[in-house]
Amino acid sequence: MSTPIDLKDAKFIVTPLGLKIEGSSDAQGEAGTGGAAAAGSSGVLSALSLNRNRNRNRNRNRNRNRNRNRNRNRNRNRNRNRDDFAPGGSASLQEPWKEREKLHALLPEWINLPIDLPPSPEQLRREAIELLKKQHLLHTPEHAMRQGEILTEASLELSGYLWPLGLEEGSSFVATETLFHLILALTDEIGLRYKSRFEVLRPNQVEPRLRPFLPNPGHASYPSNHSFQSFSIAFIFSRMLPEHPASSELFHSARRIAENREWAGLHYASDTRAGYQLARMVAPILEDVCKEQMLDAVSEWL
Amino acid sequence: MTTSSQIGQENYPDYDALWHLKTIGVLDQGCNRPDFTPPCDTEKKTRVAVIDTSVAVDHPNLAEAINEQLAIDLFSTRLGSFPYYGDVDKLGALELNATTQVADGLTHSSRLLAELNDRLCHGEPTRVGTIRPAVAPEFSVHGTAIAGLVGARPCKVDGVENTLMLPYAGVDPTCEIVPISTNFDPDPEQMILAFLYAELIDADVILLPRIIPDPIRTQPELSGHSVNGQELGPLVAPCPVTAEQEAMWSELAELIVAVSMKRPVVCAAGNANEEFAIYPANLATEHNGIISVGAMNSKGYRSGYSDARNTTVMAPSNDSEVFDRTEVRLDEQDRDYDGVGVPEKNSNHKFSSFEIISTDVPGRFGYASSPYENELSDDTLREFGSYFCQFGGTSAASAIVAGFLALGRSSGNLGTDADGLAAKNWLLSKCQIVAEDDMQHLLPVWSGTPYFPNATQEYLGA
Repeated sequence: MSTPIDLKDAKFIVTPLGLKIEGSSDAQGEAGTGGAAAAGSSGVLSALSLNRNRNRNRNRNRNRNRNRNRNRNRNRNRNRNRDDFAPGGSASLQEPWKEREKLHALLPEWINLPIDLPPSPEQLRREAIELLKKQHLLHTPEHAMRQGEILTEASLELSGYLWPLGLEEGSSFVATETLFHLILALTDEIGLRYKSRFEVLRPNQVEPRLRPFLPNPGHASYPSNHSFQSFSIAFIFSRMLPEHPASSELFHSARRIAENREWAGLHYASDTRAGYQLARMVAPILEDVCKEQMLDAVSEWL
Repeated sequence: MTTSSQIGQENYPDYDALWHLKTIGVLDQGCNRPDFTPPCDTEKKTRVAVIDTSVAVDHPNLAEAINEQLAIDLFSTRLGSFPYYGDVDKLGALELNATTQVADGLTHSSRLLAELNDRLCHGEPTRVGTIRPAVAPEFSVHGTAIAGLVGARPCKVDGVENTLMLPYAGVDPTCEIVPISTNFDPDPEQMILAFLYAELIDADVILLPRIIPDPIRTQPELSGHSVNGQELGPLVAPCPVTAEQEAMWSELAELIVAVSMKRPVVCAAGNANEEFAIYPANLATEHNGIISVGAMNSKGYRSGYSDARNTTVMAPSNDSEVFDRTEVRLDEQDRDYDGVGVPEKNSNHKFSSFEIISTDVPGRFGYASSPYENELSDDTLREFGSYFCQFGGTSAASAIVAGFLALGRSSGNLGTDADGLAAKNWLLSKCQIVAEDDMQHLLPVWSGTPYFPNATQEYLGA
């Protein structure tokens, strides 16, 4: 049974540990410890309530969406398909720990590259309208081919990079394929670091009318790792063999792979552009880290 | 300004749980004294209709605030059921504004108004057959927080060892709250009925701290966008919208405006920087009584998630981090704060860690949890932490503004004959300008000047 009181008699103070009652009442007093403090014996509430961590998760959504469910969806996806374009398969060989070590030694040179900051939510909503159009067109006969491509490109698969070179996966160009896998592995990590910094929501979390063709990967949207990784392969190959007629074609292929993620409703166009920017700026670093593999690959072509 | 040695240290300051009441001048800054004279008990209480989820009506700070005779649930039954009548199975004589003309000229709404009037007649069943109202307190989280901000009463209760003060109050702790609980099915009929019910019970203020999922008016609207010569909206609609539904959605928009001319309709403006606010807050114009509410933090800045453009007023709420082209506003006290990529010129100083505190569903459920299911059988509280939560968004801001309007009515400052437009104008007359960069925010202030407890310098006025 509750009885009215006057606010002058007591007040609640919010502390990092919980809620504290201050006042003249006989009931208020000592601070409690962790756990749920018993009512009446403690003035401080347990960390179980008014829990900063719980709230921080909501605030950490830097896209300022206050919908808890959306955040939970993102977390739920986190363990599923964590790396949407991570290396795997027979040609990926082993974890490239030596190259990763080199990459980490150069971290100050690539951790803060000046890619554009993500668009505002307002801009993202405008971009999402274009994705709605793509969503419709994807199911029309003239764009049916993209559906197969999107499914194929969802996991690591090199055919999109090899066919412009006139190769098939499992060909005798082992060093070239190994280099491509290495680039994918290293850029995956770099891209995830940038994604984690900006924490941009996936398009269908901003525009609920979007129904992605594939499930959202469990990480943030900006920049697009498909774009970053694909263009990185194109940039590195063009450094390696600029005279190869397929060098430019690889860029077309990379763009197609990156844009397919927009058609799938998984990325904004700005994600694609940021991935491109990052690939261009990271290329000199990759060149340094992967020079031996590039040398091996070149030898297959000359 | 956070120095480099302080970054990531999680040195968050303590703060008064009712800071938002001090910001708007309802509570005296020094001694926590409400700055108004409460009406005597015999006077009619100011009635705030809250269209939202259900409310944990037994919360000790809310028990006296909820009008259980009028609370209606539209979640599980089309024309509503009355959840809190106990063993009473027939409605008494409800005082209804049955002659209302808000539905005039609106075909579907007129039909629904007639149905609702019949449903609410003396002697009609409180419940529909054996259908249970969907008002379990465990899942009444949002509505409970909203109700607390509007009209919670400070009280004391029995604790395990002794009496326990729960010194929490809404903006108007004398008003009465009528929960109109709805589900979130994008169904225009349900929302039409909700607004008609608020009109029939002659609510002084209507609060809608949520979006209405109108498929045509969802922001951004797709009208004007086409693909291959076809309108984009219908092409991407997950389910086709029938002509009748489209007509009812249009009627709902007209009805909300019509109702707002009679009584203020307070709406949350949205938590994703919506340029023109979410629907139906975006219906607010100077010619109707719809009030679109944005959020400010405890430093006096626009909250990171709130857009100040096209809002009627701003009100206190929590904040969020921002990291995009328009602004970089990060919490430097956060243990995960990483300065990499943060431009030298940023708005980190604008970030505030202060949350809005409100009432929460007691026990294991709700935003704040407890290891206990509920209190002891004799109503003794085992803990009080789960009774309160951190809350925010423009939902919280809109609830504060609804409470402010209620307080105006309860205190006699806002006349009982004031219609929706007059109430809105009164609210605007109580606003003070809070300047931020090139923006000017309108903040309702009951008395004195705006008080921002987490500001780095005292507010000196705009």
